Amino acid sequence: MIRYGWLGLIFIATLILPLVIGEYWIHVAVEILILGLFAVSFNMIFGYMGQLSFGHAAYFGAGAYATGLLMVKTSVPLPICLAVSMITAGGLALVIGYFCVRLTGIYFAILTMAFGQMLYYIIFQWYSFTGGDDGLQGIVPPDWIIQVTAYYYFTLFIVTGALIVMWVISESPFGYTMRAIRDNADRTRFIGINVRKYMLINFVVAGMFAGLAGGLLGPFNRSIAPDLCNWHQSGVPVFMTVIGGPLGFLGPVIGSVIYTFLFAFVTGFTEYWPLTIGLVIIFVVLYMPGGVLGLVKTKFKTIGAKESMDAEA
Amino acid sequence: MAILKVEHLNKAFGGLQATNDVNYEMQTGELSGIIGPNGAGKSTFFNLLTGYYKVDSGRISFQGKDITNWSPHRISRLGIARAFQVSNIYPALTAYENIRQAILAQQKRTLNFFTPAHRLAKKETQELLEVTGLSQHADKIAGTLSQGDKKCLELAIALGSKPELLFLDEPTAGMSGEETHETMNLVKRLNQEMDLTILFTEHDMSVVFGYAKRLTVLHQGSIIAEGTPEEVRKNETAQKVYLGEEA
Amino acid sequence: MDASLIFAQSLSGLSRGMMLFLIASGLSLIFGVMNILNFAHATFWLIGAYCCYTFWFLMQDYNFALWISIPLAALTLAALGWVIEVVLIRRVYNRDLPEQLLLTYAMVLVLGDLIKIVWGVDDKLIARPPLVADPVFIFGMPFDSYFLFVISVGLAVAIGLWWFLKKTRYGHIIRAAVFSREMVSALGIPIPRIYSGVFALGIFIAGLAGAVQAPVGSITLGMDMAVVIQAFCVVVIGGFGSLLGTFVAAIIVGEVYAFSILFWPQGALVLIFVVTAFILIIRPWGLFGTPTRA
Repeated sequence: MIRYGWLGLIFIATLILPLVIGEYWIHVAVEILILGLFAVSFNMIFGYMGQLSFGHAAYFGAGAYATGLLMVKTSVPLPICLAVSMITAGGLALVIGYFCVRLTGIYFAILTMAFGQMLYYIIFQWYSFTGGDDGLQGIVPPDWIIQVTAYYYFTLFIVTGALIVMWVISESPFGYTMRAIRDNADRTRFIGINVRKYMLINFVVAGMFAGLAGGLLGPFNRSIAPDLCNWHQSGVPVFMTVIGGPLGFLGPVIGSVIYTFLFAFVTGFTEYWPLTIGLVIIFVVLYMPGGVLGLVKTKFKTIGAKESMDAEA
Repeated sequence: MAILKVEHLNKAFGGLQATNDVNYEMQTGELSGIIGPNGAGKSTFFNLLTGYYKVDSGRISFQGKDITNWSPHRISRLGIARAFQVSNIYPALTAYENIRQAILAQQKRTLNFFTPAHRLAKKETQELLEVTGLSQHADKIAGTLSQGDKKCLELAIALGSKPELLFLDEPTAGMSGEETHETMNLVKRLNQEMDLTILFTEHDMSVVFGYAKRLTVLHQGSIIAEGTPEEVRKNETAQKVYLGEEA
Repeated sequence: MDASLIFAQSLSGLSRGMMLFLIASGLSLIFGVMNILNFAHATFWLIGAYCCYTFWFLMQDYNFALWISIPLAALTLAALGWVIEVVLIRRVYNRDLPEQLLLTYAMVLVLGDLIKIVWGVDDKLIARPPLVADPVFIFGMPFDSYFLFVISVGLAVAIGLWWFLKKTRYGHIIRAAVFSREMVSALGIPIPRIYSGVFALGIFIAGLAGAVQAPVGSITLGMDMAVVIQAFCVVVIGGFGSLLGTFVAAIIVGEVYAFSILFWPQGALVLIFVVTAFILIIRPWGLFGTPTRA
């Protein structure tokens, strides 16, 4: 109950945020929300299911392009575009996931990365449809949210809704089955569960929410580029989740806050962002393996007490 | 009709024949044991029956249905459950969550996305916790339980699948003398009260006497003796195999 | 399409394959022995190229400048590899896969920027020494004589590694460690020393590859990104830990690239990914790998 109290406070804070910060920081806040959603969707595969996907940006990019192309070439309203983004990303995840869930561990990581790169190169080359290297320009949000504060509330509303849905899923029997697959896939087979099928379903759901995040990005940035699909973009949710902590539902969101702030701050005065984030990741991996949540784990319920396991071992 | 029928089962790993032309039958309601020294092929046998390994040749039928080479999850859904020799539990979840997972799977509720799991299967999970004596450990992280308790949890998970046929792979391994008898008494009760057909493996002969109605002795992949515990005890071949072990 | 074009492309593909082999062999060796997938491997390769440039630059008035710079650069990288293994890599042996991958991925970022800081953003160019300035004629057709040098280096390294692993005591120890590090450790052989050595060797080869590659075009920032994924593909196709597999796969990938340039230039990389994905799906341990190693 105390936990809900904290969440309530944080939510109220996010509601009044635009009233107290400048426009630049509202932009940053929108980015935190979008990337946070992306990272939480990634964590459905990583923290909950125990597999590292290095190609999650494929669905993020697919969602971005679905909405972007619809908004530039047609007059379909944004909410429908976002739904299309989710379906497109989900469909892509279904095809790619079908092959990927046959593997685990490092092979899963490499195959997801290979597919992500494939999509990147395809979008890159398909100049006539996607604009190729030039990207897609002129994605303008509808008038009622064209002002950044309005877009902020729109994004907040959608992201919060999406997070609640993912939270409910994570606490459902399906969510617990994912944890079971993560902890002991063999055992899970022996209680009657077709592990591959369930992994695929989870992969698709995660892809759909990544697609939703991508769809929100286009109108926000007014333009998108194939880079949204490549393995560097795939690394972003991984970093955020690791920094925030993969064993808590909101860990990736915390990671998004830290990452995005850091990015906005560091790129303000130096070009050596890769160096910075690289050192941060090395530090977190070596000295903070549970991320930020790992440090405060007594206060938050974790989705698997790996720390206690390690203590016992 | 035999609940389980195994015909001419063979499995080799490289040059090693782990299962050698094994024929085996079980009637509904039996409580039987397979014994043999380490390396006799007991776990391989279970792995073949539960679909974990593919057979080289032979046939496995459950209630008349051919289940040879079926995948583990399909076999499980027919009503066959297994408790592993080395505790195969969910170390990061609580004992309660461990058992609940098996129950939810059996109830076919695992594709439920929107009901909070902690509201479901409460009664059934509590029941199994009690039956296996784990009630006071319900909220402990499974990885932190004692070896004996982990074995009990292992059994509870298997029971959660509401099986008709239960395979127990060395259910008393790692247990003290008292725990061993508690566990085997539980196994006997499950067999008699819940009409559960149970096949267990064991390599300590003294454990099986008084519990199994029928024993089969496995040695280097082949069945070398079969019968009531008394008959087996008197069997010369079986004695040679075990005397060699104990000497 | 005539025979001379095919021949020319094959040679180009072979040269490219050799270069990929040089990079991938170290990657495969490191993963095979230590189970660490070194994302930063191509970045070390790039540092090798830059180091070679610096050494060459200091001696550029002499004709032998390049020929000395190449081994110097390779040795520098070996030392760098040793240091990094001791300081960083060693700490994640006991960790899970994701943490190991993240560490080497972070190294890509850190080393990439360090290259920028040390050498700046301009392209670097190494002038051809007179020995390889003129083309060599094979069957009456002119070929870049440096290509032949690259191919010979690739073959030399392949044979050298093979000989090392199969014929020397150290090589035997390393191959034993691939199968069971516990066994090797039980025999009293210090595993940490082996790991440092293997990592340094892998980076040495990468540095050598980079130095050898340096004069081919210009040396630019970001070259490592394009190459690392191809190196991964090579290792996946060939099989982690298999020298023969890496060699064969490198040639295959090199030739696929060279020939698809002819009829589908943009599709070259997509084609390689398709092959990689195909192998991962039907035979994840690669053409020559062992299934147990996963």
